[in-house]
Amino acid sequence: MTSLDPILKVSNLSVEFPTDDGIVKAVRGVSFEVRPRDVLGIVGESGCGKSVTAMAVMGLLPRTARVTGSIRFRDDELVGLKPKEMRAYRGQKIAMVFQDPMTALNPVYKVGWQLAEAVRAHEDLTRKQARARSIELLHTVGIPQAESRVDSYPHEFSGGMRQRAMIAMAIANNPDVLIADEPTTALDVTVQAQILEMLINLKDHLNAAIILITHDLGVVAGITDRMQVMYAGKVVETGTADDIFYSPRMPYSIGLLGSLPSHAGSQERLKPISGAPPSLINLPAGCPFSPRCPLADDVCESVEPPQVVVSDGHVSACHHVEALNAMADPLKLFEEVAT
Amino acid sequence: MISFIIRRVLVSIPLLFLASIVAFILVVNTGDPIEDLRTKPNVPKATIALREHELGLDKPVVERYVSWLGKAVHGDFGKTIKNQPVWAQVRRSLGVTLRLVLFAEIVSVLIGVMIGVVSAVKQYSWFDYGATTGAFLLYSLPVLAVGSFLKFILAIRLNRWIGRGDDPLIKTIGEGTANFCTASKPYNCGFIPSVTDFLSHAFLPMLTLVLITFAGYARFSRAAMLETLNADYVRTARAKGLSERRVIMKHAFRTALMTVATVISLDFGALIGGAILTETIFEWHGMGRVLVESINKIDPNLLLCWFFVTAVAVIAFNLIADIIYAVLDPRIRLD
Repeated sequence: MTSLDPILKVSNLSVEFPTDDGIVKAVRGVSFEVRPRDVLGIVGESGCGKSVTAMAVMGLLPRTARVTGSIRFRDDELVGLKPKEMRAYRGQKIAMVFQDPMTALNPVYKVGWQLAEAVRAHEDLTRKQARARSIELLHTVGIPQAESRVDSYPHEFSGGMRQRAMIAMAIANNPDVLIADEPTTALDVTVQAQILEMLINLKDHLNAAIILITHDLGVVAGITDRMQVMYAGKVVETGTADDIFYSPRMPYSIGLLGSLPSHAGSQERLKPISGAPPSLINLPAGCPFSPRCPLADDVCESVEPPQVVVSDGHVSACHHVEALNAMADPLKLFEEVAT
Repeated sequence: MISFIIRRVLVSIPLLFLASIVAFILVVNTGDPIEDLRTKPNVPKATIALREHELGLDKPVVERYVSWLGKAVHGDFGKTIKNQPVWAQVRRSLGVTLRLVLFAEIVSVLIGVMIGVVSAVKQYSWFDYGATTGAFLLYSLPVLAVGSFLKFILAIRLNRWIGRGDDPLIKTIGEGTANFCTASKPYNCGFIPSVTDFLSHAFLPMLTLVLITFAGYARFSRAAMLETLNADYVRTARAKGLSERRVIMKHAFRTALMTVATVISLDFGALIGGAILTETIFEWHGMGRVLVESINKIDPNLLLCWFFVTAVAVIAFNLIADIIYAVLDPRIRLD
C-alpha cells in the first residue's frame, strides 16, 4: 500500500433516522476519500448532514440510525461492524475533536486522567507511563507547564486550552484520520487561528488525514486541499478550495460565499440566502435547493440533479452548470436577482 | 474543607437556637398537658396548682423557654408527663428508628439506583416501560395502603396458611419480641437468634419503606442518568473507544452520582424523624411513635426533644449533602 492509496473511503453513505413523524433522511449518498496528510473540508449549514456523516464514520450514531453504503478504513469495511469491533477503530485509527470544548471534557476528572484514559484504551501502559504520555501530549498541543497542568480539572482551563486538550486526547493513539467537527466554532477568533494551525501541523507530524467539518468557509479557506459543500444531506459541490471559492458552479455554494464577510473594509451588506433548508422528512422531488435558488426552473423542481463534472475533480450537482459557466461573474448571482 | 465544616457547624448553632424557639412556640400551643386533671370532677384546686407548678406551667412562656433551654444545652431534656427521663426514651426510639430506616434506605437506594440506571441505559425498552409503570404505581400509593396490605392481606394470611398463626414467621407487630433474651431464656441471647428475631420483625416495615421509597430513587436516577448519557463528555468517552460499560459507569454514572447522592443524604436526614405511618402500622416504638404519642398525650418535654433531634439530623445531613457534593464535584470548592 502506498501513501497515495485512500486511507478512508466513504461511498454512497446514507443515514436515516426513523421518527414518529417519518423517516429523516439526514445523509443521502455521500462519497469522499482521504489520503494521508489530506485535509478535506466539509462545509454546510446546520442540519445539512455534515456532523451525521462524521458520527457515522465514528460509529457513534444512535442505535436507531439506519446506515447504508460503505465506509472503508484501508481494507476494512466499517458499516455493519458490531459496536465492540468498532471500538478498535474509534480513538485509535479514527479520532474526533468535537465542537464545544466546554462540555466535551468530563468535569469531574482531571485533564491528565482523561488523556491517560484515552491512551490506555488502546495501549497497554502502566498508569505512570500513561501519565508521562499525557504530559508529552499536552506539550505537543502547546499547553505551557504541561507537568503541572496535567493535574488540572477542565474548569481550570480556558476554552482554547480545553480544545487543545481535546485535540491531545484525539491524537493520543496516533490516529490515521482525525475528524474535527467545528473545532473552532466555540472559540475566540484569535484562538481559532492558533488551533487550526496546530491541527495542520499535527497532520504532518502524525501523517494523518484531517476531515474538517464547518459551516464557516473562512475556516477552510486557507487550509483544505479539497472541499465538499453539503446541502440537505447531499454533497452538492466538490472541488479544490480554489474551484469552490473562485469558480463555484452550484448556486448554494455561491450563496454561502455571498454570506461570508469577504472584502476587508468594504461597506457591502452581506447577502443571506433567503428561505430555509427543506425538512429532511419530506424532501422535494427535485433539487433540494430549488425553493431558494434564483436559477430554479421546472426541471429543478422535478428532477434531482446528477453530479456534473465541471472540470477535473470539480463536480457540481446542478442542472444549470452550463448557464453558470456562461455567466461573467457567477458570484453575483444572488445580487442580480435581488436588484 | 475543614474550615468549611467548622464554619457550617458554627452556623448551625444559631440555626438550632431559632428552631428551638419555633418548636417551643408550637409545643406550647399543642394543648394543656394537665387538661385531664382539670376536667376531672372533685380535684382540689391545690392539687392542680401543685401539678402546674411541677410542670412549670405557672410561669410565663419566656421563662419556661429559658429554663428548658438552659437544661437542654447541658443535655438534660427533662422528664415526660409520666415522670420518666425524656432523653432515655428518645434515645431508645432513635435506635429503633435507625435500625429500620438505615436498612430500608440502603436497600431502597441500591434497588432504586440500579433500576434507574438500567432504565436510562435501555431507554424505551420493555424494562424501562415496566420499571417506569411500576415505579409510578408504587410512588403514588399511600404508605398506609401498602403497609396495611402487606400486614393484613399478605403476612397474616401467609402465617396462618403455613400453620404459624400463633407463632408467626413474619412478625407483624413490634420491633422485637418482648423479653426475648432473659436469664430464663439464655439460648435466645446469641447473635444468630437476635438477628433472626430482628429480621422477622423488620421484614414487613422495611419492605413497606423500600416499596414506597425505591421508586422515587429509580425515577430520579433515571432522569439524572439520561441527562449525563446525552452529555458531550459521554460522547467524547465513546469516541475514545472505551468499552460501553466504562462509558456508562465511569463517565455517565459518576457524574449522575453527584445529584443522586445529594438527594439521598437530604432524604436520610428527614427520615431520622421517624417513619411515622410505617411505625404506627407495625407498632414500632421509634421516633415516629414518639411524635404521635407526645402530641396525643400533650407531653411538652418529649415533643421538644423530638423536635430537637430531628432538627439536628436535618441540619447535619444538609451539611453532609454539601460535603458529598464537594467531594464528588471538583468544581465546587468549600472554603
